[in-house]
Amino acid sequence: MKYCDKCHVEVRTNQPYCPLCHQVLKGESELARMEVYPEYVPPIRTVRTLTKKAVLFVTVVSIITLLIVNLTDFDGRLWSLIPIGAILYVFVIIRLGILSRHNIAFKLAILTTILIAILNVIDQEYTAEAYRGWALDYVTPLSLLACNIAISVIILIKRINYRDYLFYLLTIVVFSLVPPVLCLFDVIRIDWPSLAAFGLAGGILLGIIFFFPKSIKAEIKKRFHL
Amino acid sequence: MAHGKVPSANDWFRLDNAAKIFPAISTERETNTFRVQIEMTEDVDKDFLQLAVDAALERYPMFKVRLKSGLFWNYLDYNQRPFTVRPLTHKVCGPLDPRDNNGYLFQIYYRARLIVLEMFHSLADGGGAFALIKTIVYEYLTLKGCRVTPDNMILTRDSLPTKEEYEDSNLTYYDPQNHRHVKEERAFLVKGTPIEDGNIGLISGTISTAEMIALARNHQASVTEYLTALLMYIIYLTQIKYREHLKENQKPVKIFVPVNLRKHFPSNTLRNFANFVKSGMVMNRADITFDEILEETKKQFAFGLQPKELIRKMSENVSFEKNFFLRITPYFLKKFALRIGYKKMGLLLNTLSFSNLGKIDFPESMEPYIDNVSVAVYSGRFNTINIGTSSFRDKFRITFTRSIVETTIEREFFRHFTEKGIHVTIESNYVEEY
Ligand SMILES: [Zn+2]
Repeated sequence: MKYCDKCHVEVRTNQPYCPLCHQVLKGESELARMEVYPEYVPPIRTVRTLTKKAVLFVTVVSIITLLIVNLTDFDGRLWSLIPIGAILYVFVIIRLGILSRHNIAFKLAILTTILIAILNVIDQEYTAEAYRGWALDYVTPLSLLACNIAISVIILIKRINYRDYLFYLLTIVVFSLVPPVLCLFDVIRIDWPSLAAFGLAGGILLGIIFFFPKSIKAEIKKRFHL
Repeated sequence: MAHGKVPSANDWFRLDNAAKIFPAISTERETNTFRVQIEMTEDVDKDFLQLAVDAALERYPMFKVRLKSGLFWNYLDYNQRPFTVRPLTHKVCGPLDPRDNNGYLFQIYYRARLIVLEMFHSLADGGGAFALIKTIVYEYLTLKGCRVTPDNMILTRDSLPTKEEYEDSNLTYYDPQNHRHVKEERAFLVKGTPIEDGNIGLISGTISTAEMIALARNHQASVTEYLTALLMYIIYLTQIKYREHLKENQKPVKIFVPVNLRKHFPSNTLRNFANFVKSGMVMNRADITFDEILEETKKQFAFGLQPKELIRKMSENVSFEKNFFLRITPYFLKKFALRIGYKKMGLLLNTLSFSNLGKIDFPESMEPYIDNVSVAVYSGRFNTINIGTSSFRDKFRITFTRSIVETTIEREFFRHFTEKGIHVTIESNYVEEY
């Protein structure tokens, strides 16, 4: 054990200095003895963090460039918002879908929801009057349908983690019940995609209720407790 | 979960009153983790330790969980993934990344003779953490073939988890009529040079428990009162004296001292059941003495430890949690309210926290295998220094953690003992050397 004759304390270390006053310690090192606490290892900058930074950099630079080009040659239309929306979506896919460690059902549900939102904005704001409505008529119900199928298949394959996925499946199932309602109010004019999505969602919902009644009840209780 | 039922994938637990706030306010720097460390008399075998932890977790379903988010509140959900013990790193009370720890809210580290438990405060307080590590050490020694007995001091697989252990005792003892909010002044904060990479420096000193108790008794004070007053006095000496007229130094030096409520109310909970007392004093004179601070501290402790006062503080938190508007606000919005509230009402109101876990008891048969026990609490941006103490037999360990490079407070603190002829042994993680 070493000794600091300024602080008059014994120090359990092989380091040369007193941690309290930084004076050189007296006494021999016991080299056989391991330091009580491990040495500092500087953090390794991982590929993941570097990629995250690069992706953010490219996204920000391209959005600024697009805005500058659009505004310097401004003809009354903010056309740059379409590619910016697409770039942001790619950014979200890379950050949330690839680089994050969320569970896969969450990724599918969130990416589908964002995609539907972006395409609907483009539809309403940038499509000529006569063709407007494609995002609501086709994209919304069909992507919900696809998402429902995807999460269901994942649950069937990775049965061990099904509880983690159930909640997100349920969320998308609930979303799928919305398009048929919009059909009733004539907001959606093409019925079959909405009805197909509704049919599948209804089937899945019944399946969940029949096969996982306890899990789903518990899951809802957990997620919504006040 | 019903009494005695085997834990299953459908088990989940609400966060207790204190635990609800931590997920919202914790960051890389304000980690809200704490450490319980046991030094054995022989090197720790990591394979036996792993088996011991697996065995212990069977007895503690409430720790075999991970944090999940709900619409209004987070909750603890049964975690079916395996738990792995790890070699100790230089990090002290760092953030527990749920993604590279299979979602567990605690870690078990080993190094030479050390077994270290680091826990996120949402899971439990020092009481729950000590229960867990005692079971782990008991299982470990049993696996190693040592003849140890639990003597009803340790929870083993011979008993089943009870509902009482999961209970949020705050809800049991709070009083809806007594939840007045007392407005507090902001505290004096210890400033310094932040340690690089957000690392935490650790310095602990070991002194004789008997000498520590004798020293406090000489001043007709408890050990907690004595050390609280000493910390205030050292802050005064090193940070304020001869500069007491400065505007910044008009703020009171305030020490936050957690109180284990299991000692004041009958409760067997393993979850958070702690409250606090505070001692505070404006240090704006040049002639403040230690004895003067100690008298003031004793008065403030006597007041703060009255059952009425403890219940008031508990009820203040519970009534906040039970607020209808807060409850129906979705969690992602609630988070911001909690963060602002905590910074204003929590962090900035304390100079530092001092947790005295007191005497740590083990069954007599286990004592020969244990050398010492210590506790440490994370330090962050505002509370740059925190102190944890505990005693095992004649080793009283005082552990300072700090987020700043300066060690003036530690130096003067330990010199206070050596000047009285009390022998001090220092350990450090030497974070400043690298
Ligand atoms: Zn020294």
